[in-house]
Amino acid sequence: MTDQIRAVLQESRVEQVEIDRYAEEVSALIGTEKVSNNHIDILSTCRDYWPVSSIWMLEGAVPALPQLVVWPQTTEEVSQILALAHERRIPVVPYGEGSGALGGVVPLKGGIMIDMKRMNRIRELDHENLLVTVECGLNGALYEEQLNRSGYTGGHFPQSLRCSTVGGWLACRAAGQFSTRYGKIEDMVVAAEAVLADGTVFRERSVPRTATGPRVDHLFIGSEGVLGVITTATLRIWPLPEKRHLASYTFEKLEDGLEAIRMFMRAGARPAVVRLYDAQETGNHFPELGDKRCALILLIEGAAAIVNGEKDVIEECVSARNAEDTGPEHVKHWLETRFNISAASRLLQKGAVLDTIEVTTNWHNAYSTYSAMQEALKDVEGTMLASGHWSHVYPEGAALYITVVGFPGDDKIVYYKNIWQSAMTACLAEGAAISHHHGIGLHRGQWMAEEHGKGLDVLGRIKNALDPHGIMNPGKLGLGEVRKWQK
Amino acid sequence: MAEVNMEELLNCALCPNICRCECPVLQVSGREAVAPSGKARLAAMLQHKQLNWDEPVFEAISNCLSCRGCTIYCPFTELSLCDELLNTRLAAKASGIRLPVIDPCISNLKNYGSPYGQKGGPSAAGKKGAEVLYFAGCTSQANHPSSIDAARKLLNKAGVSFQMIDEDCCGYPAEVWGDQELARQLAAENRRKIVDSGASILVTNCPECWLTFTDRYPVWEQDLPLEVIDGPTYFLRLLREGQLKPKKSEFEKISYHDPCIWARAAKKTDEPREILSLIPGINVQEPLSYGEQTRCCGGGSMFQLSFPETAEAIAERRLAEFPEDAVIVTACPFCREGLLQEGRRVLELVEILEQSC
Repeated sequence: MTDQIRAVLQESRVEQVEIDRYAEEVSALIGTEKVSNNHIDILSTCRDYWPVSSIWMLEGAVPALPQLVVWPQTTEEVSQILALAHERRIPVVPYGEGSGALGGVVPLKGGIMIDMKRMNRIRELDHENLLVTVECGLNGALYEEQLNRSGYTGGHFPQSLRCSTVGGWLACRAAGQFSTRYGKIEDMVVAAEAVLADGTVFRERSVPRTATGPRVDHLFIGSEGVLGVITTATLRIWPLPEKRHLASYTFEKLEDGLEAIRMFMRAGARPAVVRLYDAQETGNHFPELGDKRCALILLIEGAAAIVNGEKDVIEECVSARNAEDTGPEHVKHWLETRFNISAASRLLQKGAVLDTIEVTTNWHNAYSTYSAMQEALKDVEGTMLASGHWSHVYPEGAALYITVVGFPGDDKIVYYKNIWQSAMTACLAEGAAISHHHGIGLHRGQWMAEEHGKGLDVLGRIKNALDPHGIMNPGKLGLGEVRKWQK
Repeated sequence: MAEVNMEELLNCALCPNICRCECPVLQVSGREAVAPSGKARLAAMLQHKQLNWDEPVFEAISNCLSCRGCTIYCPFTELSLCDELLNTRLAAKASGIRLPVIDPCISNLKNYGSPYGQKGGPSAAGKKGAEVLYFAGCTSQANHPSSIDAARKLLNKAGVSFQMIDEDCCGYPAEVWGDQELARQLAAENRRKIVDSGASILVTNCPECWLTFTDRYPVWEQDLPLEVIDGPTYFLRLLREGQLKPKKSEFEKISYHDPCIWARAAKKTDEPREILSLIPGINVQEPLSYGEQTRCCGGGSMFQLSFPETAEAIAERRLAEFPEDAVIVTACPFCREGLLQEGRRVLELVEILEQSC
């Protein structure tokens, strides 16, 4: 039945006889109930939350189709699945919960979709060392819920919390909304276990730090499935905070807000949440604040004495930039609505193309990158809105998150490509990095060479060494040939 | 048969599903095809004729407990995915597609008026023409008639003049399985008997019966000309009015499992807790998720007959949320059946109340 469905980006498929033979042999190894060639399962794992997939869905098309879906329950089963695929040269794509925004799971060359959701247990909660060892298929919200039940938090709250897995966070090098205090996922991973393309399993030790050569497991953080499959991770956890302080301010100009943040980060304050919105987004998210000033929302949490100290430092820094105190209610509103992404479904049905583009800037080019990307996006015919905010802040800079909405008429894919081309060109010209936390996937791979220079070649050599037959998630992370989705 | 609301279905199909963590079938199976958006996408493809009905499609679309867990975080307030999936399933009948596993249950419904076969529980009883009609429900009759006995004893102790009729299944299972015609037939027969009883109040302990009477019977043009009251509300009324006077319970540590229908469709989360609070000596400890955030026991949408392995896995997952040493109390025969696994004591609210009165 899936033969009737247009798979727009399908570059190749494995001979059916090979897939059938693989299915039979892998079923004997891991059990028939963990293997499916059913068209329903194939259709359901063929895409993620890449807007292009959504556009095609409304047109009755899909990006590309896998040929087999497997659900391992143990690391050993992952090893068996990969070893056999390696032997037979069959492509494998790891799948979590499909919330990726750049087509990272599109099975360009067909093959096997390895759905990790049945590896969903917390293996160990280490109270003394504040560590948790968790299987990578566990849903993010359920992970946090289990930690909360024992009095801890994982500190990782991406907007996709409820529709992503722990493994997905690691694979795309994710960042959560509370990252300024708790860090990004790479700061939380103390050790990881992964399986290479040939089935080799390795695991590093859960010690605070080592000087024993490069951390091999950390190479897999952000590897998006091209090097192997991450199966478990040992992550840092924190006792639930004693105190939480909410505050919001507005500034006359964005530059004032950016400078206030830079100064309190320089002074050592680390609020969990720092979000500075441009005037347009201020008006969209907090209508009662109007759309003339720029809102900053802050959430500080932790031990009461530390929260109080940070609050004092922050108040001094924002006052120095003539901020107006607008109280805690706007932060409460944000906390209540922060996972709501319903506008995307509604706008898509009305013919819109919308996407979010997150990049990383230093302080010196934070505002200029914002201005350049805004201008570039507004210059693309069809653009109705291009707005932005900063979040995930560091002493040396911040993440800039741009939202773009356009009504391009019939040429939606052309418009989509145009906005990205314009945004990435402006970003690179300003010296900013092309992604902060959404990752590369399929679509953003085309700018990886400009982003990394020779570094991409190094990454390619590592990939070739670990996956000599190129079976792991072909065509992603800017590695390997992608014929049907180019600039 | 209601039309599928394509706009709402597509809202779900295009969403990454922040409800995923609350979909029990997804969480125990790991299958994208049964994720809320997975089912919505399949349903949308069926509507757009990009997919044809076949058994795997029907099986995936049927993999919904109607627990409404996906509504907890759903940003689309007009969307009722379980209703859209039901409407989609109902359209499959013309194609002759069904779940083979339920064929015997459909035969039982046709032959005996119960999906479980010949009725084993009490049939007509009480005082003909009494004001209160106690509707036991086929699942209690088949699996846990002790809850019906408890309800009868409570009504007698409260001095309530009540009756029971030779009831048929309310029709809910037939519709869930895609046979609305059979559901309507059962509803019409029940309606005739209920009207003939002369009662003015119908009390039901089974949430599925309550929902069917109040929500589906009007759709099937079988409106009931009497007040339909859920069991927890009715027995709480008897307590408040002093007709029941509980004494110290033999049970000390209790954990109440909110059935999905009572919690999210009927919004009856306070009534059962108030009943328990009025029984001296009971210490109620909540499970991990409770109230309107409760999680399904695996018994919704007749899963215990349609998808028994999935139902059991969901029940195991839910059981892990309860204090290990607590007696689990619920107010639904499906929940009781699902949670009644080795090593756990599970009772219904009416039994706890009856024991103390």
